[in-house]
Amino acid sequence: MSSHAMSHIGQVPDSSPGIETPAATILLIEDEPVTRTSMAARLTRLGYRVLEAENGRAGLELARRERPDLLIVDWMMPEMDGLTFCDAIRRDPQLKSSQILLMTAHDTPAQIAEGLVRGADDFLSKSASKQEIIARVLAGLRTSRLVRKLETTGEELKSSMLLLEKKQAETEADLQTAAAFVQSLLPSPGSPVHGITLAWEYQPSLTLGGDLFDVMTIDEDHLGLYILDASGHGVAAALRSASLMTFLRAENMLQLLGSYNPEQVLFEANRRFPLSADGEYFTLWVGLLHLPTGSLSYASAGHPGALLSSAEHPSRWLTHASFPLGFDPSARFTRDRVSLKPADRLFLLSDGIYEVPSPSGELWGRDRFQEAIDAGKQTSLSATIASCFAAARGWQQAQHFPDDAAVVGIELTDYREDTFNG
Amino acid sequence: MQIKERIVPQGIILDVVGDLTYAHRAVFKAAVEKARQAGCRNLIVNLEQVRFVDSAGLGLLVLVSQNLKLQQAQISMLKPQSYVREIMSLANIPKMIPIYEREEDALMARAA
Repeated sequence: MSSHAMSHIGQVPDSSPGIETPAATILLIEDEPVTRTSMAARLTRLGYRVLEAENGRAGLELARRERPDLLIVDWMMPEMDGLTFCDAIRRDPQLKSSQILLMTAHDTPAQIAEGLVRGADDFLSKSASKQEIIARVLAGLRTSRLVRKLETTGEELKSSMLLLEKKQAETEADLQTAAAFVQSLLPSPGSPVHGITLAWEYQPSLTLGGDLFDVMTIDEDHLGLYILDASGHGVAAALRSASLMTFLRAENMLQLLGSYNPEQVLFEANRRFPLSADGEYFTLWVGLLHLPTGSLSYASAGHPGALLSSAEHPSRWLTHASFPLGFDPSARFTRDRVSLKPADRLFLLSDGIYEVPSPSGELWGRDRFQEAIDAGKQTSLSATIASCFAAARGWQQAQHFPDDAAVVGIELTDYREDTFNG
Repeated sequence: MQIKERIVPQGIILDVVGDLTYAHRAVFKAAVEKARQAGCRNLIVNLEQVRFVDSAGLGLLVLVSQNLKLQQAQISMLKPQSYVREIMSLANIPKMIPIYEREEDALMARAA
């Protein structure tokens, strides 16, 4: 049977003054012409746009084409009955959320249950009064509006999520680029000068880290080294750290101070990097190694310190209490000196390597870090550092550190050993 | 981290429970700001139940100390645990913010 459809448009009910609302569209599917015509006329008088079809199959075609707001369907029809129509609607991805009002003379609980199971939303008795018809149509349209609003909101939300994911991916790519740039600023492991071995491991807590370090040639007799730790995490901390790192470049210090004298470096850095309005600051440890003699001068600004490990003696911390940068603009920093011998190792570190909690909350701590360094004396420098990271990870039972974690090691090998012994 | 505020005649005591770290800075800032708006001249941060203070936590304490000084007010710390005390000592914090072992001493310090 060919599709037979008719359309009537009437006044919009309940329209607010000044607001033009398009008339809701109702698809009426009924094989009995008199009933269909009578119901269509009644709905048209109520102000709805009414589409008509004489069986389920024709109704389904019309529904796919017109996307009506409400479907009123007769239960018993040739070609495709109301229940089969309900099945088809619920299987159709475009129509499955349509509101269906099933018209029937069947109103036993079992029949109603079957209608609901097959996909009807409500029932309309063929003997229903005019008031009941209006009430059920209004209820059906109300639900239809809500469902469509929900669908629109869901689509908007999905679209926003996709946009957000795209932006997030772009931001992550930017961060990766920035992280790669920061990594490129760090010294290359190996041998910065003859007779010195350098190894390090660094794991930022986020993509970008706030702990930075360098080991650099100052002149033919001096090696400068430092580690800085920015309070806080993330992009802001990393940017502040990169700024301080630029300030600490050898050529900048030589131009500004004429030397890489550790306490003078700290004094200048303290003047130029005050405590921020959010309470952010740096700790910094700076050392200057005189290569011909192995004499290391160093100074610290609130930094937990460097650890000196020698073959014959237990390791010891090279630090003393001092303000971090920016706490006191007039602060002076003390320089200390120590002699390094061949085979000695010096470790610069950030507190993030040992301030890792076990699952019960106990910190790994400086003492355990020191024990790990002492236990690695017989292994290579890089293996010792790797074992410290492994021990810290084992302690916290997690791969990622809650704070930036860095350990930088230098080892004096055979360079100018005659001078050291002399 | 949780902070309980105790108002006493000589000042306000903030009883902090948990870690004073980067992740909890907003809670600490809010508690200090509330005390400041109440006109507090003597703020005592009780660290007895604080197991760990990170660098961001230290920065906040120093910032609060500097801001309170500008308003002729002061901050002091009460009973830090040994590890927290060690962290603070490395950064010379006791030279900037007094540390007390007894609540009465912290309260008396302002009165004096």
